[in-house]
Amino acid sequence: MKLSNSSIISLSEEIMKFRSLILKNIFRNKSRSILAVIGIAIGVAAVVGLGLITDDLTESAQSALTAGAADFSVINSTNSPSGSGGGGGFGNNQLINQATINQIQQVKGVSSAVGELRTSTNLGNSTSSNSSSSSGFGADFRSMTSIIGIDSSDLSMDDIAITNGTTFSNDNQVIIGQTAAQRLNKTIGSSIIISNKTFTVTGIYETGNFMDDRGIVMSLSALQNLTGDTGQVSLILVKASNGTDPTALASTIQQNYPNDLSTSTSLSGNNRMNNGLQVISSGAWAVSLLAILIGGIIVIVTMMKAVSERTREIGVLRAIGWTQRRILGMIIGEAFVLSLIAIVVGLLLAVGIVELISLTHLLRGINPSFSLLLILKGIGVALFLGIIGGIYPAYRASRLSPTEALRYE
Amino acid sequence: MNNENIIEIKDLKKTYENGVIKALDGINLEIKKGESISIIGPSGSGKSTLLNMIGALDKADEGHITVAGMDLMQKEDLSKFRLNQIGFVFQLHNLIPNLTVLENVQTPLIETNIPDKKMEERARDILKSVNLADKINQKPTKLSGGERQRVAIARALVNHPSIILADEPTGALDSKTSDIILELLLDIHKKENVTLIMVTHEHNVAARADRSIYVLDGKIKEEKINSTQ
Repeated sequence: MKLSNSSIISLSEEIMKFRSLILKNIFRNKSRSILAVIGIAIGVAAVVGLGLITDDLTESAQSALTAGAADFSVINSTNSPSGSGGGGGFGNNQLINQATINQIQQVKGVSSAVGELRTSTNLGNSTSSNSSSSSGFGADFRSMTSIIGIDSSDLSMDDIAITNGTTFSNDNQVIIGQTAAQRLNKTIGSSIIISNKTFTVTGIYETGNFMDDRGIVMSLSALQNLTGDTGQVSLILVKASNGTDPTALASTIQQNYPNDLSTSTSLSGNNRMNNGLQVISSGAWAVSLLAILIGGIIVIVTMMKAVSERTREIGVLRAIGWTQRRILGMIIGEAFVLSLIAIVVGLLLAVGIVELISLTHLLRGINPSFSLLLILKGIGVALFLGIIGGIYPAYRASRLSPTEALRYE
Repeated sequence: MNNENIIEIKDLKKTYENGVIKALDGINLEIKKGESISIIGPSGSGKSTLLNMIGALDKADEGHITVAGMDLMQKEDLSKFRLNQIGFVFQLHNLIPNLTVLENVQTPLIETNIPDKKMEERARDILKSVNLADKINQKPTKLSGGERQRVAIARALVNHPSIILADEPTGALDSKTSDIILELLLDIHKKENVTLIMVTHEHNVAARADRSIYVLDGKIKEEKINSTQ
């Protein structure tokens, strides 16, 4: 069927009148409309707010496990049951003799092997250091700072990227993670005292791993001197050469040192992290679903109440010639407009809450950022709640017998 | 169907509550185009049910009813029929409180394809004819009972219906306002040649129609041609 221009114009004008009627109905009972908007907005805020946090956690963890140049790490086998993996080896963990790095470098398929010493210390609110031994570091867990010792030429093996300043060029210089810099109020040129030794900050780095971004990186020899672990490393980062399967290579290395070393591939670390993230994500979804359910009930109840109060009016509209479809369209239209308002309210609410939590430092190291997918999820939830919440009351309204509706008191 | 008749009803029956209440019990009635009819009877006699049947708001259980050429027993959705042929005036006016007088009168037109400007033009003209040109932007709550009923009459007329069905149109008004509204309805009926059917229990109102039908227990007990024109 072909529509003429004039019929299209008249149809759009008819829709205009209908649309203005829907808008007027929305603002008719403001408190009820506000309640419905809040109901939908709770669902949107829950999905978007929790999504902001879990998305950043996932991104950060995946970045830490997969984006690094090293394909896997090698640790002392006595540490392996704890599953500390590539990011572990802190505190009391057993170390590896540095000579092993050269041996691993000789294994066929190894492109490069780099040693790294890791420990942690409590720098707290001051820059004064704690004990100098590896085991003595990290007495107060609440404000622990990771200290990583790795040669400046090997930083990329641990996915450390300088975002500001330059890397360290001697044993008196360090670079600092961006989260640690904020927390300790340090910038380029600042002094920092670790274990009674003063270091100068030459650069600020970012890894994408929120744990490592809380740390300080210095040369391997500087940290070995500081902790007294000369000739020792916590882990060896290994990169497979092109065409070599990293998992197979890790198995080979482990077979070569069955009693001394164990390997932790990104894959296995990923699986462990994924399991953890899955739990966080499931929890976030459970909370979101609960919020969606509560929001849905609020919308249905408020829309039912709106329809019930207007029963007689709906009877009049049916009497003067409105079709069931028109009544259905009016109520769903009202629910749709409420959803659109709720999208804005819900998104603002989500951002506001996350920002507020960020200010309290409860989400230290996490930088929530909006993604299109997350916004679409929020819009989807609002439309779902609005339409689902509106469909049943709209259906009931459209099925009302005009005579019964007109008799309604 | 006789060409002169706009409504033909044969042995129309309607029961409620599984046949316990006989609202209409074999109604036979013919109404000519342009005629004015008053349906009178006590409460519960079936007069409003009969009006609802003619206005296609309710369906009969048995019998035949043809209105403006439409067999109302056959078709399921009669919204368009109501839109094009019927204009309702209710006792309690039933205006939409959050809409202005002008918007209330335009509500039936939303179902039509009439352009926005024409829609408004038509509503303004009708409101002028019922002496409400100065009230078009007011909300119904700001109007008197008589003014509200005039808005309701304007809304009933806006689609140029062939039949106006008025259910106790003066029932909630004082006698002076009641006379004004009745005069208005009869005036429109004459000028526009619209068939007017009024349900009332006031004999003086009923007597102003061309013909009065007395309904009792769902049956037409008496028909009377009124001479006081």
